[in-house]
Amino acid sequence: MTEGIEPLLSLCLADSRQSYSAGDELICEYQIDAVDPADIQAVEASVVWYTEGKGEEDMGVHYFERRLPGDADDGDLRPMRRLRTRLPHSPLSYLGAILSIRWCVRLRLFVRRGREYVLEHPFTLGAVPAGVIQPVIVG
Amino acid sequence: MARLFRLLEKKRGLRRTGSNLMGGVGEALFCGAMFLLGVLSLTALIGVQVVDPDPASYAIGVGRWLLILVMASFAVIGGGGLIWTVLRMGTSAERRGAMARQASELDLLREAIPRPRHYPAVPTYEGLTNSPGIELAYRLPPSQSPGWRLLATTIFAAAWNGVSCVLVVWAVGSHLAGRPEWFLTCFLAPFLAVGAWAIRYWLRQIWLDTGMGLTTVEISDHPLYPGREYQVVLAQHGHIRVKSLQLWLVCEEEATYRQGTDIRTELRRVFEQRLSHHTDFRIEPVEPFQASILLPIPAPAMHSFHAPHNSVQWKLLVRGEVEHWPPFERGFPIVVYPGEATLRVERSAKVGRHALRSHEPVVAGSAGAKV
Repeated sequence: MTEGIEPLLSLCLADSRQSYSAGDELICEYQIDAVDPADIQAVEASVVWYTEGKGEEDMGVHYFERRLPGDADDGDLRPMRRLRTRLPHSPLSYLGAILSIRWCVRLRLFVRRGREYVLEHPFTLGAVPAGVIQPVIVG
Repeated sequence: MARLFRLLEKKRGLRRTGSNLMGGVGEALFCGAMFLLGVLSLTALIGVQVVDPDPASYAIGVGRWLLILVMASFAVIGGGGLIWTVLRMGTSAERRGAMARQASELDLLREAIPRPRHYPAVPTYEGLTNSPGIELAYRLPPSQSPGWRLLATTIFAAAWNGVSCVLVVWAVGSHLAGRPEWFLTCFLAPFLAVGAWAIRYWLRQIWLDTGMGLTTVEISDHPLYPGREYQVVLAQHGHIRVKSLQLWLVCEEEATYRQGTDIRTELRRVFEQRLSHHTDFRIEPVEPFQASILLPIPAPAMHSFHAPHNSVQWKLLVRGEVEHWPPFERGFPIVVYPGEATLRVERSAKVGRHALRSHEPVVAGSAGAKV
């Protein structure tokens, strides 16, 4: 690995979108730089939801891919790669009182000596409004 | 300013503030030491017995068997913990999650129980639609069966008062024998008070469950979708004079977390709407109260959500005040699916309606966080 320099992880959602409807296709490109290809042990890209708040964290993996140097043509996992996945109908992003549900694309790089680097790109799924829902007036 | 480290505070949850790697190494060392201690001690015990057999030391009451049991448990727990820690190290949470998802998709039980395929983390509703209603499509089951609560109360009251009786006999015996146990006598007062409270609660529970009469809620359709309206029939049986009977639509968030060795659950009501309110009427056994009520689900409502430690639960809540009876509440869970209004996002919207405030937006090109 290039001594003294942290690996550079890049993650970019297509059209720079921040919000997705359920069933939309999420397209994301990621790239790794400033690291010797021989130092890279594995790269994991995933689309996950997780909870935040008072309770223990729950996490769900919607999409996951793990690539090893053997999976790349020349053993180099650094070049740009595109992932695409169709998003599910739930759980929708949510900002509640003691519970929040968040979505993100997560890129995890494993390098030599057990070191890991993570980059996340959050996005929202659906349009559940934050705060108090107004009761429906009947009649 | 950094928060002061509180020595007497229990650690909350499984979150780590330090390095995951160091934490893993620490766990592995601890489990490894435990395993070694167990194995070496067992080897020594068995070796001594082989070299110099002493059957007397294995007699009942000497404690050698207990020592072997403790050391074997050290070896098993330490070895198991070591294997678990080593397997977990170097495996990301996402990879573990993906493997768990694959395993759950192969689950035979899952195939037997129909689950919403395109709605992950939305609870199943098969238990809510297997009882047909008389007026409407389904009769909803109560969230907590009164029988289980009564059974739990009965066991607690019986066990507590059984122990109380033994202690009372002991204390009275000591006084009659002229060697009064004053500490036990003083200790008995709060003990008996709790026993009396348990019996009172038990009797109240019997009274409520047997005398109040059944509350039933029927619904026109299930699962429910935000933005739509449904029909509900509320029925209350019994021989009572009702001061007030209300039906509420309620949404609650539930969060479970570990604090030290305790598991705590916090419930927060985030939405409630009164759907009906009936006052001052009489119910006869031959003529139960019945009301048809409109149930609108708010269009922007969050759907039902269920994960191991967190959930969003919707339910219909019946609150009653009856003459000469304690007030009561009975809940009937429902499952709300994501609605059209919340599934779709305006394509023109650059930023979601609730931006992820606790995260700094990560732009392409920035360096990743080292973990």
